[in-house]
Amino acid sequence: MPRTPPTPPRLRVRGLTRRFGDVDVVKDLDLDLPAGGALALVGRNGAGKSTVLRCVSAAEVPTAGTVELDGAPVDERSARTRRDMAVVMDDLDFFPDLSVVEHLDLFARAHGVPDAEAVVDAVLHEVGLVPQSAQLPGTLSSGQRRRLALASAFVRPRRLLVLDEPEARLDRAGVAWLVDRLRREKADGLGILLASHDADLVAAVADSVLDLDRVP
Amino acid sequence: MTVVGGSPGADLRDLRRQVRVWRRGRADTRLVDAIGDAYIAVFATAMLTSMAVSVVVNVRAVADTCTSVACTDARAALPWLTGLALVAGTLGVAGLLGPLLVSPAVGSWLLPAPVDRRALLRPRLAGTAAVALAVGAVVAVAVSALSGFPATSVLAYGGCVGAACVLAVGVAAESQARRLRRLGLLTRTLAALVWAGLVALTADAVPAPAAAPRTGWVPVLVTVAALAVAALALAYADLTRLSRDRLAPGGSLLPGLSGALAGLDLALVEDVLVERRWRARSTVRPVRGRGVGGAALVWRELVRLRRNPRALVVLLAALVVPYLGGSLGLGRADLLVAAATGFLAGIGLFSSLRVLTRTPGLVRCLPLGAAAVRSACVSVPAAVVLCWALGAEPALRAAAGLAPADAVPLAVAVAVTAVTAVVRFVTGRPPDYRLPLVTSPMGAVPTSLYVSAARGFDVLLLGSAPLLLAPTATGAVISLALDGIVLAVLLGRP
Repeated sequence: MPRTPPTPPRLRVRGLTRRFGDVDVVKDLDLDLPAGGALALVGRNGAGKSTVLRCVSAAEVPTAGTVELDGAPVDERSARTRRDMAVVMDDLDFFPDLSVVEHLDLFARAHGVPDAEAVVDAVLHEVGLVPQSAQLPGTLSSGQRRRLALASAFVRPRRLLVLDEPEARLDRAGVAWLVDRLRREKADGLGILLASHDADLVAAVADSVLDLDRVP
Repeated sequence: MTVVGGSPGADLRDLRRQVRVWRRGRADTRLVDAIGDAYIAVFATAMLTSMAVSVVVNVRAVADTCTSVACTDARAALPWLTGLALVAGTLGVAGLLGPLLVSPAVGSWLLPAPVDRRALLRPRLAGTAAVALAVGAVVAVAVSALSGFPATSVLAYGGCVGAACVLAVGVAAESQARRLRRLGLLTRTLAALVWAGLVALTADAVPAPAAAPRTGWVPVLVTVAALAVAALALAYADLTRLSRDRLAPGGSLLPGLSGALAGLDLALVEDVLVERRWRARSTVRPVRGRGVGGAALVWRELVRLRRNPRALVVLLAALVVPYLGGSLGLGRADLLVAAATGFLAGIGLFSSLRVLTRTPGLVRCLPLGAAAVRSACVSVPAAVVLCWALGAEPALRAAAGLAPADAVPLAVAVAVTAVTAVVRFVTGRPPDYRLPLVTSPMGAVPTSLYVSAARGFDVLLLGSAPLLLAPTATGAVISLALDGIVLAVLLGRP
């Protein structure tokens, strides 16, 4: 009887090392994240959480190590990686003359989402930015900008969500919505890799926690 | 709602069309204003071009009367050195900015999407190559015309240099895509060749001046153009190799540089570049402090100098300029040239004074008066510039025909003038938009904006004027007195 090959984890990281000058910010890190799983990176400031996320999302080239998404190497230049991995970091910038809804519409269309308008409207409603949909990003509060950044991850197809402190600058209701949303993402079979300082969010969402302060 | 669909790559033309639709009607300039701006732009371009042509023609007429060996050597070598410098400069700027870059917004909203990256970057590659071609060709045409090239050779030489600059863009783009690390080395090598050429010119080691070649340009032009096209084709083929981490840094650098240039704040331009350089370096070997009070600051300046020898190397390399001025027969004007060179090449040494100016809170953290802190920060760089000026003393003495008793005081005055100009340059404050505004083609601007552009150069002229009018010890004393007053004001102000 033929044996089915084992399904690779959604995300596999092996020997990830990132060195800045003489300092190893991340050294020889291994991690696996199954489909429908959520892994939270925790640790003090400077422990390397964001660096790991940047290397995983190929925003930064690791000094050594490999990162695979569904068994294929992550390469930011490949359309497949960009289509399958939704990343929300703290460095989102905006077109000054495009409104909130136009940013999301552009992003959805760029990802070839069918019926982009309906998807964008639904996500706008969910993140609570309907009243601000015609506003230009320069007039948004920092919390609203954060909501817009998170919305950008939900208007597009994805298999893995990479989130750097997604709760930052969100109010209590916003964090509650985020927890609910991430749980639904997991239920839909997506993988979630996040870095956070919010113990409640981590406890509510993550199946496993990697404390970078304790990585040898 | 979880999105499950999505094509592997969206059509970029459709996206651009959609963005154009959104932007329609949002222009912040009326048609009448746009026509007015276009008229001013065309008129200004025509006027500046005619002025530039007139200057070239007149300078050439003057240069034709120069028959000394040094002068003819310099005229013969000038176009070739300029061509090499243009290619080196193109490589340097291309390496600094990318050459291919995307704005932070495009980096956030289009690069993460599976759009065709080649289609996205193709117009940027073409635009960069076109700018390099235009700048290289225009400068080369002007310089070769000045050097007495015949008309056909002027055009051919301009074409060659323009094509060489395009070649440099292609090489830099390829290096960006393939993550090659040799671009900096190539740039430095070309810059070193230019410097060596200047040294050779100074030492009269350049072979007898060859007349500008009248024929044989076609094969050269065809070869350089073919190489440029090949480099661009290679870069185009490799556009899909460009990852976001290679495209974003230039895009994030450009707004800072543009903002600084819009405010005519050249010191801020230097800040942006210095910050980027140190961020790329990432870590340094820590060195413990020594001394207390002002002595600790002086020690830190010594550490900084050792940590960043680049600024020192630039200053030392610039020592060739006063000697070149001497061999070109500039006479007493060489004093001004030396002071200007010390000023421009010395800016990099005064980075800590610049930091203290930008962040006055840092000065308040120190248990010393502002004047004492600034003086401590200036001491080491000023001593270096003084040594540099003393190194240029033989050139100044020969160029201006100075008596030995006058040469050293004049060299000291040149150094102090350069230091004062740098201090004025780095301690300048940004334009104050609360001041009364004046109308200009750029819109309403504060009067201090114009002062920003002249900052440093004004003091340079003030300190150099006595040296030019009376290149003697007396002139040096007057210059030192003027510089001393300016320095006291600049370093002592709260």
